[in-house]
Amino acid sequence: MRLKTESMIRVWGIALATSLVLAACATPTPNDPEARAELQAINDPWESFNRAVFEFNRGLDRALLKPVAQAYRGVVPEFGRDMVKNFLDNLRSPVILANDILQGEKDRAGETGSRLLANTTIGLGGVFNVTDIEFHNEDFGQTLAVWGFGEGPYVVLPLLGPSPIRDTVGLVGDSLMDPVVWYARRHEQYAITWIRYGARAIDTRSRNIETLDEIERGAIDFYATVRSLYRQRRNDEINNGRPQNSVSMPEISWDDEEAAEKNQVSAVSK
Amino acid sequence: MLACRLNPIASILALIALVFVVPASAETFGPKQFIESLGEETIGAITNPDVSEELRLTEFERLFRKGFDVNTISRFVLGRYWRRATPEQQQEYQALFAEFIVQTYANRFRQYSGETIAVDGEREASKRDTIVSSQINASDGPAVRVDWRIRTQGEGHKIVDVIVEGVSMAITQRDEFASVIRRGGGDIEALISELRQKSEAATN
Repeated sequence: MRLKTESMIRVWGIALATSLVLAACATPTPNDPEARAELQAINDPWESFNRAVFEFNRGLDRALLKPVAQAYRGVVPEFGRDMVKNFLDNLRSPVILANDILQGEKDRAGETGSRLLANTTIGLGGVFNVTDIEFHNEDFGQTLAVWGFGEGPYVVLPLLGPSPIRDTVGLVGDSLMDPVVWYARRHEQYAITWIRYGARAIDTRSRNIETLDEIERGAIDFYATVRSLYRQRRNDEINNGRPQNSVSMPEISWDDEEAAEKNQVSAVSK
Repeated sequence: MLACRLNPIASILALIALVFVVPASAETFGPKQFIESLGEETIGAITNPDVSEELRLTEFERLFRKGFDVNTISRFVLGRYWRRATPEQQQEYQALFAEFIVQTYANRFRQYSGETIAVDGEREASKRDTIVSSQINASDGPAVRVDWRIRTQGEGHKIVDVIVEGVSMAITQRDEFASVIRRGGGDIEALISELRQKSEAATN
């Protein structure tokens, strides 16, 4: 099983490297400074490869994940699905706790810790949420961002979806600090990990059927829409929902006259 | 004679209401009150059981155009390409965009199922823009955090952006449109023709 994972990673690596070379040949640097700034902001040097993976994932979603998620929602009553979600959230909590601590978020670490303790015991292994603490997610990609690492080029991974370099490194980091993964490895019960991934995918998908349908229906370029949504959502998660003015809302763009002024000022100061 | 029979407490209350409440609320009709009243009006319109689906949609469109600064949004969303477009292109684009965005939001509101809006604060975003923050509460599922970017000009308020859980509708659309134009070789016509197709698909 480990061999399989390794060879899979190798295949991805080769594919990534190939597309890097291709992209380097294909994308000329534009002379227009605005166009250059735009390309830098998009930061998607492997776009054609990413688009191909995106379409592959979409095909897989249409053929498998979405129908399964629909059936799951149709067959299992809401309280059952909530129990599954509670259990999966609780199973992930040690990783969230570790990342809360690594980010120096004492209050949130306290919340995650007490939630984990109460739900694992009184909540029967996490099936019930017996606290009134709201669940929050954290991952190592967010921790890296808090530590000051940039997002890096945008990547769409097969099966896993959007995951820029920083977040891909984060995925590896999370699995290294995950007691469930340790347990599975020690007892050679790799099925646990795969079942958990599958259950998580179905649960998440079943909660987003209408939303995703609607985004897709309204989109002209679905790939670009998802890339933008992913980045904005990630930034919000990294900031734990706190308002952030300058990053997501470049003020200049909202006002033509002000934009012209600011451009002049920055040209002078350079 | 009639005045004497009126309950004195009620008339005092009515007086207080007249003297303080009415002028006060008229004076402080800020971005927050604007969102609150627009929210109420919209929910009232789309849940009105006495009118047909078609009429409800027309009413929604009217409220949308009243509440949103569609021209400002359309310019923002086109970004740097706005200045490059010819006046004819700008005009056609703005008309198509207005149709497109109304359609997008109408679809969103068609899924309305009893959510309520609770406005919980406002903060200054720039000289003329205010961000009003709110929670949309559904009967099932967690509350959704929605920020409204309001532009105030003179006495009037208009929405220029809706930010759902940190995701700005305007920025998402701008990124998407930029991608469409870039892939169309930097030609705004690429976007206009896509919008034209969307518009035709919606009317058919």
